[in-house]
Amino acid sequence: MRKLHVIPVPDDQKVAKAIEYMDKIRKKFRSFTLAMESCTKCGLCAENCHTYLGTRDPNNIPTGRADLMRKVYKRYFTPQGRLFGKLVGAEDLTLDMIEKWYSYFYQCNECRRCAMVCPFGIDTCEVTFIGRQILHWLGIEPKLHNHTGAAMQKTGNHMGFPKAGIVDTLEFLADDVQEEFGATIRFPVDEPADILYVPSSADLSLNEYTIKGAGMFFNYIGAKWTIPSTLLEAGNFGLLFDQEAVMRDNMRRLVDAVVDLGIKKVVWGECGHGWRTYKHYMDSTLDRPLRVPVTHLHDEVAECIRQGKLVLDPTRNKEPVTLHDPCNYGRACGLIDNLRYVISHVVTDFREMTPNRQFNFCCGGGSAILFDDPVMYDLRIKFSQKKAEQVRATGVGDNGDGILCAPCSICKAQLYPMVEEHELGVHVNGLIDLVGKALVWPGQA
Amino acid sequence: MVYYFIGSVLPYITLVVFTVGVLYRLGRWVGARIVHRIVLSPFSTTPTDVVVNIGAEAVFFRSMFRMDKKLWVGAWLFHVALFSVLGGHLLGIYTLGDEFTYIGASKVLSEHMSDLLGESFGILLFVALLYLLYRRVTIREVRLVSATSDYLHLFLLIGIVGIGDLMRLVPAWGIEYFPVRQWITGILMGSPVPFPQVPLFAVHMLLVQILMMVFPYSKLMHALGMFANRWILHKMYLDPAPGLPGVTAPAGEAYRPFMGSQAIGGGVS
Repeated sequence: MRKLHVIPVPDDQKVAKAIEYMDKIRKKFRSFTLAMESCTKCGLCAENCHTYLGTRDPNNIPTGRADLMRKVYKRYFTPQGRLFGKLVGAEDLTLDMIEKWYSYFYQCNECRRCAMVCPFGIDTCEVTFIGRQILHWLGIEPKLHNHTGAAMQKTGNHMGFPKAGIVDTLEFLADDVQEEFGATIRFPVDEPADILYVPSSADLSLNEYTIKGAGMFFNYIGAKWTIPSTLLEAGNFGLLFDQEAVMRDNMRRLVDAVVDLGIKKVVWGECGHGWRTYKHYMDSTLDRPLRVPVTHLHDEVAECIRQGKLVLDPTRNKEPVTLHDPCNYGRACGLIDNLRYVISHVVTDFREMTPNRQFNFCCGGGSAILFDDPVMYDLRIKFSQKKAEQVRATGVGDNGDGILCAPCSICKAQLYPMVEEHELGVHVNGLIDLVGKALVWPGQA
Repeated sequence: MVYYFIGSVLPYITLVVFTVGVLYRLGRWVGARIVHRIVLSPFSTTPTDVVVNIGAEAVFFRSMFRMDKKLWVGAWLFHVALFSVLGGHLLGIYTLGDEFTYIGASKVLSEHMSDLLGESFGILLFVALLYLLYRRVTIREVRLVSATSDYLHLFLLIGIVGIGDLMRLVPAWGIEYFPVRQWITGILMGSPVPFPQVPLFAVHMLLVQILMMVFPYSKLMHALGMFANRWILHKMYLDPAPGLPGVTAPAGEAYRPFMGSQAIGGGVS
């Protein structure tokens, strides 16, 4: 915790401090206050939450999860809760309850499907956000989130790569592209340029075809582009556990890079929660205004296809493909149609899963629930149960050569092992991966 | 004595508790800000979109309709019946059953229509409430998340509606529009007239006043909370325009000579 400059609150003060923090937050965030006060307990969210469907744990019903906080909120901040207590479902805050917060707020994928289905539009994701924020201030959070936040602070990416390693890896990847696709490309790092491309750092280790695809795309259109070594990270874990210091700190890196490199437009890589953060939270979080537009890679790829700037050969991706709509694209960022526009130009056999678009179910890894300990790993398998059913229903994996296209780093990290656990017969790809493979370079016809 | 309390004292307490309560709740909401942009996509991109999105949710319960048809039937019919009955009370009592003479009906016909509609919606409301209660008890998930107060709200409403229906259906136990209007006018003018000596009406009014006092301090405020929530989720948002700087010459064009007639995919515009 100290790496993130938080001193854990001693146990005997945790309850009092938690109430104090909650009071502060309820007076600041209307979304939170409304979520605490408007629920009628109709139960519509239950069948629409994949974590509940996978675990059948009542505390994983979205409103049940929010109730862990709502009970306390009622007890301390509403007249009916102070007067009638249990009758209206109010409860004292105890260390046990704080432990439940920790357990269940880190079982929520923050996918916002409940916000979409709720008749009143109660955003239970906001409750989870606030819950994790309070826990962070108390000094409680998973190692994964804490270490990722600390690595980000130290190196500017989640994986902890130093600049020399980044340059080296990218040169290696460029050689790879030369060998595999016969295209000469270059990954400029920290060079003055027009376009700043922010990839996910996991692309350098886990999803190599994603960064290759993006590199090929930018080289192909002849863009003057660069990758910042100071922010080699499309994600922002601040959104997931500390929307104050950590989130703001990461954003500052973007403004600095833009100014230092004379950037005219920022293009965001394949990352769901990160795209949500930088698309929607920058206006309200940045300390300095950012004067250049920020768009998503796939909006730009789609635009380039529309303008005829890309020559694509979809027959290079002949395997059956289905698309997993990352929650943050579908429900928070409106990146829905362009994904389909792009995919229809780069593959021959595209099959929609149901439900899809903004109604899609989460992969089960949302908000970085990517823990490896046996208990949580088991839960992750349960969380991805619904996704597995969806993929199976499309039939893309029937011959064992299907592609599950998931254009988001966390979805990929979750789905790589999960498609094995559920034996789906598919492998997981990003979308720009497929674009890269379909690009027809000069002289290749 | 009881009649005096229900008819002349309690109404003023109710009005104060209700008004103060609603203002207090709204004040709490307004005091907290919409800090971040937490819109739901697909976005509202014009003011019309905002109205359509919020309107579709408020009037037709759109998301409920999409996701759970059974609940939608129960909940939507309940709310339609509720607002019809409330409107019927307002018009019927104000015009003494003459509300349909304004659209051309005769006085007798108007009173008949008023009775018939009141009976129909009253019964519908009662049945819908029973269904919602049945649902709360029988569906495991709903039962698990329910607190005692969730049932009490339903019982209170069932009590009010049940008694209202009895007064409608058994004329001997009912009450005419006129004395009710006299009483309400008296309350609103600040000079209460004696409360009509009709036992069921007294119980009906007692329960209604309890409901009004509970309203601002309970989940029943969802009626307003819904709009406050939707106001955040359906705020207008416009995406920045696509198009990359410094990439003026379409690179694809430059490569086309090599491609000949085999170019696939590109060139869609």
